[in-house]
Amino acid sequence: MAGSQRRISPVITFSQAAERHLDDVYGYLAWFTGDRFVAEDLAAETFERALRLWHRFDERRGSPRTWLCQLARTVALDHFRSERRRVRREERAAVPERYEERLAEGLSPQLESALRTLTAGEREVIALRVVLELDASTAARVLGISTTNCTTRLARALKKLEEAVDVAA
Amino acid sequence: MSQPDLAGMLREARPVAPPELRERVRLVAAQATPPRRQLVTWRRVLLVAVPVAIAVAAGVLATRPTERRAQPIEPGLRKSVGAAVAQTDHARAANAPVAPNVTRVQRYSTSLELRVRDAADLSAASKHAVAIAHSLGGYEQRVSVETERASGSGEIVLRIPKAHVQEAVRRLTALGTIVSEYVSVQDLTTQVNATDRLISRLQRRLAVLRAQVQDAQAQRRLAALTARVEQLQRGRATTVRSARYATVDLRLVTRTPPAPPVHRGHGPLHGLGVAFRWIGIGAVYVVALAVPFVLLAALVWSGARALRRRREDALLSRP
Repeated sequence: MAGSQRRISPVITFSQAAERHLDDVYGYLAWFTGDRFVAEDLAAETFERALRLWHRFDERRGSPRTWLCQLARTVALDHFRSERRRVRREERAAVPERYEERLAEGLSPQLESALRTLTAGEREVIALRVVLELDASTAARVLGISTTNCTTRLARALKKLEEAVDVAA
Repeated sequence: MSQPDLAGMLREARPVAPPELRERVRLVAAQATPPRRQLVTWRRVLLVAVPVAIAVAAGVLATRPTERRAQPIEPGLRKSVGAAVAQTDHARAANAPVAPNVTRVQRYSTSLELRVRDAADLSAASKHAVAIAHSLGGYEQRVSVETERASGSGEIVLRIPKAHVQEAVRRLTALGTIVSEYVSVQDLTTQVNATDRLISRLQRRLAVLRAQVQDAQAQRRLAALTARVEQLQRGRATTVRSARYATVDLRLVTRTPPAPPVHRGHGPLHGLGVAFRWIGIGAVYVVALAVPFVLLAALVWSGARALRRRREDALLSRP
């Protein structure tokens, strides 16, 4: 009993975790940011940070995928903040050009344009719950919200997406 | 399009990391070994150090000696020696009573309480005390010794020439362990001088009376004055004589026989219990003092969290 309460050192190595969950992290970031190139940079940054913090990882508190997604979210939020500051600076000089990247290969144009109408927060919850197929509690933990809130947010996002697809069609 | 269909389409279009990114992450994983988990962290050190510090403080407080060492004695001032301190010769010399002034008329008295081992020691110490008084030219004014089995007490009042009282006290203190000492010095020189002046004045009046006509009334006054002068002279002589000797009130007591052990939980773990009690008291104080700060910190933390959540929502509310 006492042994089970002790902190268990991770059985999985960092290399194994990186290899196994790279697609998850990248996919999550691609959906979250809406930019595959940015997602690549952020994914690399996420794994660099994860390497530094790997000693803090505790399997009892969550799977490596959850932990990596939490880190990825922090990295993405930092990116959003710096991006917002950059855009504000640039807007003083001139209206910045926007490059529309494809979210993912294999999406229909209607679905692609419908996804563009969603906010980053809505895309994020869809990425976690639908694309990565995390359960509600795990996704809520990544998002730092309650399970109920997560479920509500997902339902609203899917409904909005459904309506947007119908409009686009 | 229904939501399950949408979900299926989204899953099918799940992005896959490009080979360049995969290679980049492999390089990240390979370029450095992850830092080893630190066994000694600040949190762990504090976790151990704080209770240890509290326990040490509690131990120090719990085992703080309540006894006091004997202090040097000042004239007219009682110094109670609570602890039975076995003194060395050096310490005894340091604790010697204040020296009487032999050029002045002073009433010098000292009280000394000594503890001896048992009734046999009490008897021997009493004899020694009297012998010391005799050897220094003094005498015993009162000797009272009572013994019962191994315990007992004795009350000896010695009169020692003032010039030798320090030596007497020094030797008497060697008879046992000092429990308490008391020295009193009362200067009578002023009183004696006043008496002298009064006597002189009365003698001058006597001389004047003797020169007058000696009728019955003058004779009565002369007799009264003469008696008064003689009384004063006797009193003065008594005072001066008594001041030549110091009074040493020696009280001898045996050690209190050890009380039978009472089992009140004062076993070897008693100290530990006391330490834990102090830790508990300390914990109560810490809690009482920390609660407002903790509440404030919780309030600040929840406020900051709500603010961060709002900012995050605002950040993610754009397409």
